[in-house]
Parts: sequence; structure tokens; C-alpha cells
Amino acid sequence: MSDLTERAVQRLLSERDLVALVAMGLVVLAVFSLVTDTFLTVISFQVMGFQVAEVALLSLAVMLSMLTGGIDLSIVSVASIAALVVAKGFAATNAATAGSGRALWLTVAFIALGLLAGVACGLVNGFLIAKLRITPILATLATLQILNGIGIAWTGGVTVYGMPNQFLNVGGGYVYHVPIPVLILLGAAFLTGVFVNRTGIGLRVRLVGANPTAARYSGLNPTRVLYATYVASALLASIAGVIIASRAASASADYGASYLLLAIVIVVLGGVSPLGGYGTVTGVVLSAFVLQMVSTGFNMVEFSAFAYQIAQGVILIAVIGLNTLTQRYGGAWRSRLLRSRRRAAATGDPSTARTQ
Amino acid sequence: MRSIPWNRLRGRNNEGVLVLSIIAFSIAVGISTPSFWGWPTLLDLGTNSLINLVFAMGVLLVIVSGGIDVSFMAIGIFSGYAVIILPNATGFGADYAVVGFATAALIGLGLGLLNAIAIAGLRIPTLIATLGTQGIIRGAMLLWVGSKVIPHYPAGLDRLGNDYLVTVHSGAAATRLSVLIIPAAVICVLVGLLLRYTMIGRSIYAIGGDEESARRAGIPVTGIKVFIYVFVGVLAGIAGMMHVTRVGLANPYELVGGELDVIAAVVLGGASIFGGSGSVTGTVLGVVLITLVKNSLILLGVPSTWQRFAVGLLLLVGITAQALSARLRRRGPALAPGVAA
Amino acid sequence: MSSAEPLLIAKGISKRFGGVAALQDVSFDVRPGEVHTLAGENGSGKSTLIKIITGVHAPDAGTIVFEDQTFESLTPRQAIALGIEVIFQDFSLFPNLSAAENIAISTHVAERRKVVRDVDSRRIAEEVVSRIGIRLDLDAAVEELSVADRQLTAICRALAQEARIIFMDEPTTALTRREVQALFRVVASLKERGVAFVFVSHKLDEVMQISERITVLRNGVVVANGDVKEFDRTALVRAMTGKPLTDTPPSDSVRADAAPILEVEGLTLAGHFADVSFAVRPGEVLGVTGLLGSGRTEIAESLFGITPADSGSVKIEGRPVRIRRVRDAVRAGIGYVPADRLTQGVFLDQSIARNIIAGSIDRLVGKLNLLRRSAASAIVSRGAKELRILMPSPEAPVRSLSGGNQQRVVLAKWLTRNPRILILNSPTVGVDVGSKHEILDMLRDKAGEGVAILVISDDVPELVAVCHRVLVVREGRVVDVLEGDRLDEDEIVKELVA
Repeated sequence: MSDLTERAVQRLLSERDLVALVAMGLVVLAVFSLVTDTFLTVISFQVMGFQVAEVALLSLAVMLSMLTGGIDLSIVSVASIAALVVAKGFAATNAATAGSGRALWLTVAFIALGLLAGVACGLVNGFLIAKLRITPILATLATLQILNGIGIAWTGGVTVYGMPNQFLNVGGGYVYHVPIPVLILLGAAFLTGVFVNRTGIGLRVRLVGANPTAARYSGLNPTRVLYATYVASALLASIAGVIIASRAASASADYGASYLLLAIVIVVLGGVSPLGGYGTVTGVVLSAFVLQMVSTGFNMVEFSAFAYQIAQGVILIAVIGLNTLTQRYGGAWRSRLLRSRRRAAATGDPSTARTQ
Repeated sequence: MRSIPWNRLRGRNNEGVLVLSIIAFSIAVGISTPSFWGWPTLLDLGTNSLINLVFAMGVLLVIVSGGIDVSFMAIGIFSGYAVIILPNATGFGADYAVVGFATAALIGLGLGLLNAIAIAGLRIPTLIATLGTQGIIRGAMLLWVGSKVIPHYPAGLDRLGNDYLVTVHSGAAATRLSVLIIPAAVICVLVGLLLRYTMIGRSIYAIGGDEESARRAGIPVTGIKVFIYVFVGVLAGIAGMMHVTRVGLANPYELVGGELDVIAAVVLGGASIFGGSGSVTGTVLGVVLITLVKNSLILLGVPSTWQRFAVGLLLLVGITAQALSARLRRRGPALAPGVAA
Repeated sequence: MSSAEPLLIAKGISKRFGGVAALQDVSFDVRPGEVHTLAGENGSGKSTLIKIITGVHAPDAGTIVFEDQTFESLTPRQAIALGIEVIFQDFSLFPNLSAAENIAISTHVAERRKVVRDVDSRRIAEEVVSRIGIRLDLDAAVEELSVADRQLTAICRALAQEARIIFMDEPTTALTRREVQALFRVVASLKERGVAFVFVSHKLDEVMQISERITVLRNGVVVANGDVKEFDRTALVRAMTGKPLTDTPPSDSVRADAAPILEVEGLTLAGHFADVSFAVRPGEVLGVTGLLGSGRTEIAESLFGITPADSGSVKIEGRPVRIRRVRDAVRAGIGYVPADRLTQGVFLDQSIARNIIAGSIDRLVGKLNLLRRSAASAIVSRGAKELRILMPSPEAPVRSLSGGNQQRVVLAKWLTRNPRILILNSPTVGVDVGSKHEILDMLRDKAGEGVAILVISDDVPELVAVCHRVLVVREGRVVDVLEGDRLDEDEIVKELVA
């Protein structure tokens, strides 16, 4: 990857960009509030709250894998597998018509099972990437296919229905007017943030992503770190899957397939570097909210959902492209400041140019 | 030094292994279903693989250059769909299939230019750039070109869709090999020649090997990248047009989602995801293997819902084998990486 | 040989980057068929000078005269057309293409060819290879070639472009002594045909063997230039740093009566080294030297757990230790400064602070694996102070530091763990002479504190300056131990070349 792109992408992460993100959010808020009169209402924000959680969780999952310099493409399939485990469980035990006591504990049990299934998928990814040393993009491409295939074969291509109300409450209920999915998101985001920023293993994740060789020579075990990363990523994806199933009151092998692009847009907009080592949970969550506002706003002004898809692509290209451009023509002062005179001569060593 | 005959047989990109796999697989299937050994199998193979073959040729160029493209299916269906809509809307291009194909190629060229701008111009990493353009192209198609299925075809295309090169009758059923196999084969040969015998092709390998060194050697890296993505666009347009012709229905929701099958075929065919290696032969074999597996599943009575799983498993086996053999090779003399030992 | 009339004259070159003057009124000339060494520590401006001459940058002032043409600035294409070629340390080759194609590709590009066949590349390559009389497997993919063969391929590529002057950046760093001699033979034969070489190198001893003239840059200014015969090493080093090289003999830190801290017995790793045994006492600095590929690095890295040995025993402070992974070594109190700083030693884009605590994470986590921030900061300040790291702030990325300072960061990473044993591999490569002295001084201090130190190196003066004993490794076995009177530069070189 070119030196220029690398620096451009890193520029995304300075604090100024978090401020820029907040500013963007406020602008979007302002625009849509002015253009429609239903945007700036409690109900509207509650609806957005319900919708944002699942894709935000998927984005956090992508962020984790990107921190290690890889990418987890399989998250949408992991989410759908988790959803299917829950749904099939309910179908098999007729939970939808069970008494409330039994339904409650069935709900808890199958959610746990769904999350466990997700963790199992994460372990498989970890094995392929850490032990077999298959490059993450290929490994998760394969697991994406395989898990999707398992899902299709398991359901015969048919959507699974039949869920108890206790479960539907997870995706549709409130706690003091706050949608439960939002609470789940905030909780998961908080824990992820602690994981990434405050724990030893989080630091190891960043370092392994920044330079796996140096990590090894520093005594950090990349194998453990990679396992932890992909299991955590799969766990987040399965939580998302559970929420998706709860909101849709059903599960299918193809749910969430369109979320992959959106998750990557969110992550990139939120300042995560695809090259590894950089990114913040705050940025990702903020970015998810901003994009959700855009989606809802589009809906309200009756832009088609297709327009939203176009917007996602445009935002993705614009954000990274703009950074590369400003780096090339305007950001030069920054890189020069960073480079002392000594370092300028030291860059006669070309191994700094390629960090692939 | 390398032991010559064994390595030559194996092929630089493990083509030999692929051939063996195909033979082994065929034997395995043939044992349980003797009807496998017949012309229909071969013809079906040809007909079902030709579209992915054309897509794969474009993807091969991208992967050899060190990038990855996930937007080609979107380009394909956009082009094909648009061409079908055009005559209905404007009456243009109704009679000759060639006009339709040329238009599709042109549309693909334009869409490929989007990728070229994002990747060569804005220097955006290829996976992200093509994810973005895929969204834009698909959204734009559904929003502005149309989102309905079109069953009425202009006359020329109708004829082409039903034009077959070979027809084999077995009892009551007839299996046909679409005449579109000819342009598909021609494209494969052309791409092969491009990669082996032209400076553009060698430059693509060079860029995949070490982009910075390519720049230093005077290779016009940006120009070549523009060429690659525009070329992929053209091929995607043609392939999309082929698909739409064969199916007889223009359904804008098709094709997208099948990118992984093509990428899997190219990777199975020996191209390294990091760039710098890959061949037309390998890619063709990869496409053949995947199509063979999918067809055979049907023949064996396996429900079509298992197809995706099968392809995924195949891909997994392939990349695991590649990773393991790379590790074995690396366990050679130089254990300690770095400049001085 | 070199005639008097220069081929290339760079006159009064000045270049500023931002507010910083990289070059000030530098003049430099190259005669046909000469070998000219361009010396200077990191930051001297030598890289900038090369980039200007090869067209990557344009100078702010000054001119470049090539034969009879004068230029205010050059583009890379112009430079190549004139015959000015540069070979960087990574050789800029295509690992996936054959040697023949690598050699011929620039020619193809320059000729604006559209169609090209294997035979075309081969023809060009064979012509060049026979011209300089070397043997090269032209069909092998470059990634399969040895480092020395890759370098030859790069030289052939420059020659295929009718190079008149070839700049080589650190040409001998990755070569064994035998390969260096082979390289010099090639250079000598090319000199006779009028091709000039400019070597940019830290390895003064080697390149001075073959150079006719030397130009020394310091802080962007030429501080010395002239015939190599007029200089000796001391004078050169003084010119480069402004400081005389003091070869302090090792201190008496060795506690001869104390039990050894590290005892290695019969260490073997199939294919790399066999039956290696030695002991290191507290306060002792043991050198390990040998040619490239002799196994010296593998021995060190097996002690550190990177490539664990098959058999043999390791005892630390009398207790047997099993080192199967890096973590075992670190826990046993071993620290390792690897040879390739940029890829193995530092996390270039991470902060200095993170780099320093990277080695101590296990000691900084408390309940629930949470990091103890204050303990971490304490480690960072201690490391920065002890190693005297010159930095704007601990949050600055390591990339912004000079090579010498980066090496201090790597040292800080391990020293903040108070290791019992410190292993260093080529510790002063790519480090400016000033830092080099400080690092060697620091090693002596640590030895004085009772740490056992292992220095893997092929820098002979460095070994003599800091080691009490030196093990000579050849083909995986320890063939000699030099100490006392036998520990001097000539003796070591003799052992290596034997």
C-alpha cells in the first residue's frame, strides 16, 4: 500500500477528526430537522436507536479485526448463524406458545447458545488466521461463504419464524424510554473500549496489528492475540445477530448481508485504519449514529433506500479520497514537521516505505 | 536449483495440482453416478462456466496487480440490465446483438473508470474502493435505471440467447452448449496473450511484485492501473450482457452476491492474493473446478442449498493448502529474517 | 582507471526542507571509472544529495554538470538517460519475476516496447551477464536468489541501461565477506570500462579497500574530501562526527569468582548450529562473531525463543531453563535487541511510550487484565532517562526519531525489565557514530552492574572495544574463543576470513 495512503489514513485518527465527526453529526441533525418536522422528535430518535444497534455492533466487530491489521469479512454470516441458532431453538421447542416462565428461561438459554455459536465461529477464524497463518481477508472470505452455506443448507433457504415475546422484547422493548438495543450497544461498546484501551491484551492487539514481527520479538504472542481478536469480533457479531432476529421476529441465512458495506463505511468514517494499530470505539459509535441519522433522514424525505446505498459508497470514497488528496497537497507541512532533519536522511532506507 | 520436470508439470501456479484435483473429483463423482461420463456434463460445464470465466479474466488482472475487486458483478448487471432497458425505452439497438454487447462493454468501461479514479487517482485501498463503487453502482442502477424484471428482449438478443453451438440429445432431454462459449474462449486467449507477451501484462506482474520498484523502473503505474480497472469494467459489461442474454430475463437483483465464486476461482487457480502471480490457465481451471463441483452436486442429488457451502469448503481447502505449502517452503535455510544474520 | 576529467560535477548544491537545511553549498564530483565513497552519519545529507543527483528532488540552488551538459535539476528519466543509476538497499527488484526479466525490464520500458517475449529479456540479460563475466541463474525468480545474487541482478539491470555512474546504498551490509570480495571484483572489472561507482556506506573499512576518493558530509556540508590514501580511520571518524574515536578497552567488570549467569551446553538446532557450549559470568560481555550464515544469529535467537533449539541445555543462575517460546526467555530474564530494527525492533508508527512498555505488558496488568497507567508512565520515564532518548514527547511516533534514538528505544524496552542477560544483534548498524559510542558505553555500564551481555556482531572494532571474550562461529560450530592478547582486530578478521 502506498506510503501516501498510509499516512492519509492515519491522519483520520487524530482527535481533530473526532471533533469533525461530531460536527458532521450536528450538521446532519440540523439539515434534517429543518427539512422535515418529524426528525427532531423523541419517537424518531427512539426508532433510530432500535435501528442503529445491530450495525454499530457489526462495525465494532470489524474495528477489532482491523486493529490487528486484518479484516473480518465473515461477521454478517456469524450474525446470521447466531440468529438462526436462536430461531431454530425456539422453533424446535415451540417457545412462541410456551408459558411465560418457560419462555423466559428458553429465551435466556437460546441467546446464550447463539452467542456460543458465534464464539465457535470466532475460534475457527482464529485457528485459520493464527495457526494456519492464512491471510485474514482470504480466511474470512472462506468462512463467510461456509457459514452462509451452512445457514442456507440448515434452513433450506426458508425464513424461520416463531419467537416468544420475551425474546422480542430484547429488540423491541424500552427501559425508561430508551430502546433496549441502544443499552446493549452502549454496554458492549463500553466493554470493547475498555478492552481495547485499558487492558494489556488490547495493547497487545494494537501492537500486533501495527507490526506482527516486532510484536513477536517483544515477547507478545500473536497467536493468542489473534484468537482473542477474532473471538471478540465474532461475539460482537453474534450479539448483533440476536438483536436482528429479535427485531425481525425471524431469522434467515441472508439477513444482514447488506450490512458489510455499511459496517466498513462506519468504521472508516470513524477513524479506524485498515492498516492496523489505530482506531477508537468512540469514533466508531459516533460514526454509526451519524450514518443512522442520514439513513433515517433519507427515509423521511423519501429518498429511496437505494439512494442511501449510493450515499454509503460516496461517503466511503469521499472520506478516504479526501484525506489522501489533502495529504498530498496540503498536509505536507505536518509530515515535514514530524520529520526531523536527521530522519530525512535516514529515509534513505527504503524499508520504511513498505509496511505491508 | 529446481528439479526441472517435476516443477514444470506442477506449473508455476500449481496448475498441475488443479488438473489432478479435477480428474480426481470427476472420477469420484463418476463412480457414484455413471451418467456423469457423457457429453451433457461437458456441455453443461461449458455453458455454466463461460460467464464466470469472462468475469474471472478481469478479476485475474486485478489480483495479479495486487488488488482486489468486489464491484465487477455490479458493473455486469448494471450494463446488461441497462442494455435491455434501452431498446424498450428508446428503440435503439433492437436488432443486432452485437450492438447490445458493444453498448454493454461501453457502459462497463465507464463504470470501470469510476474504479480507476478511486484507485489510481485517489489512491484508495482496492477493497474499500470497490466496496464503495459497488454500493454506488448498484444503488444507482436500482434507483435510476430500474428495479423491475424485464422479460421482453430485443429480437437480436433473443436469437443469440437461443443460439447454440452444439446440441446433444440423450433420450428426451437435450443439452446445449451456448454459442457464447466462443467469445468467452477468445477473451481467455486474449488475456493470456496480454499477460505473457505484452509490456502492459508484464508491467501488471511487476506492479504486483513491488509497486514502488515498478515506479522506479519507469513503469507508468497509474496509467496501468487505470487500464486494469477500465478493462475489468469492459469485461464485466460483456459478461453481464452474456448472463442477461442466456437467462432470457433481465433481473437487476441477480449476479451481485456471486463475486465470491469468481474470486475463489481465481485464488484457487493459483493467484496469490498479495499480487505478482497468477495465470489464465490456472484461473480457467479454477473456474472449471468450481463449476464442476456445483454441477456435480446437482447430479448427485444434493439439494442446491448446499452449493454455497461446497464452494466455501473448496475455497478453504485451497487456501489452506496454499498457506501450508508456503510455510513448508519458508522453512528453508534462512530462518532469521532481516538484513544480516 | 579514473582519468582526470570528471564525468559528473554537482556544484554548490543547496536544499532546504521546510525550515531545515539538508544541504548547504555542497560540491561533489565523480570521475569515470573511479570508486568514490560518500560517507556521513544519518542526517548528514548524503541521502538528499543522492536523491538530487538521481532526479528525485530538485535543488534549491546549484547545478549538475554531466560531461558537457549543465542542468539546474534533473528528472528521474533524465538521470537514467544520462546513465546515472541508483541501487537502494532493497535493490528495487521484482521478486516474482525472473532475473532475466528484472534485468531487462527497464530497457523494455525505455524502448517503449508494446510486445515483449521471454527471449528478448534473456538476450539482454545474457549480454550484460557475459559482459561482466559473472554467473547468474537467469530463469530463477528473484525471490529464490541469494542476497548476493540479487545484488548482482540489480547491478546488471543498471548496466543494461548503459549506466555510467552507479550509486550503491550500503552495498556490503547484507553480504558475507566472501560475497563482498566477489562484488569488489565485479566493480573492479567495470571500473576498467569506465563505469564509476559511488558507494554510500557506514562500513568504512570495506569500502575504503576499493575506493579511490572519499567525500565526507556532516550536517549538510562537505567536511572532508580527497584521496582515500590521505585518510585513516580515526581521521575519518573524526571528520564524520567531530569526535575522535576512543577505543576504550573493556572495563574490569567481569566477576571472575562469581558463578556464571548463563551456561549453555551442547545446544543444537538441526541445519543451523550444533553442539554450542559457552558460559557468561556476571559483568562479562561475550562477543559472538562469524560470517553471514554461520549460525551466529540463530544461536542468539534460539536462546531468546524465536527458533528454539532441538537439544542441549540452558542454565540461568544455575537453574535449568526450557526455552520453547519468546515468553519463556523473557520470563527467565533475557532481553534481545534484534538485528533488523525497523521490522523486528520497533513499532514505527506507535508512540515511543508504547514501544517502551511493549516488553513489560505482563508486569503492568492488574485485575481483569487492566493496565496500570501510572506504573506504565513510570517505566517510560525511567527508560527515556536511562537511555537518554532524545524525543519531543513520549507520545511522538518512533518513526520520527533518528536511527540511534530508535535503537535506544529498543534498549529501553528491555532494560526497563532489569534483565539478567542482554543479547544484542548488530547493535550499532544504522546508528550514528555519536549514538554508537553512547550505546557501547551503556553496555559497559550494564556489565559493571552485573548483567551478562552477549553481542552478536561482525563489526570488528566494536567487538574489540566492548567484549571481554569473543566466540568465533563457523558453519554452526564454535571454532575458537578469543580473549586477552588474542582479542584484537587482526586476529578476528583472520578467523573470519579463514
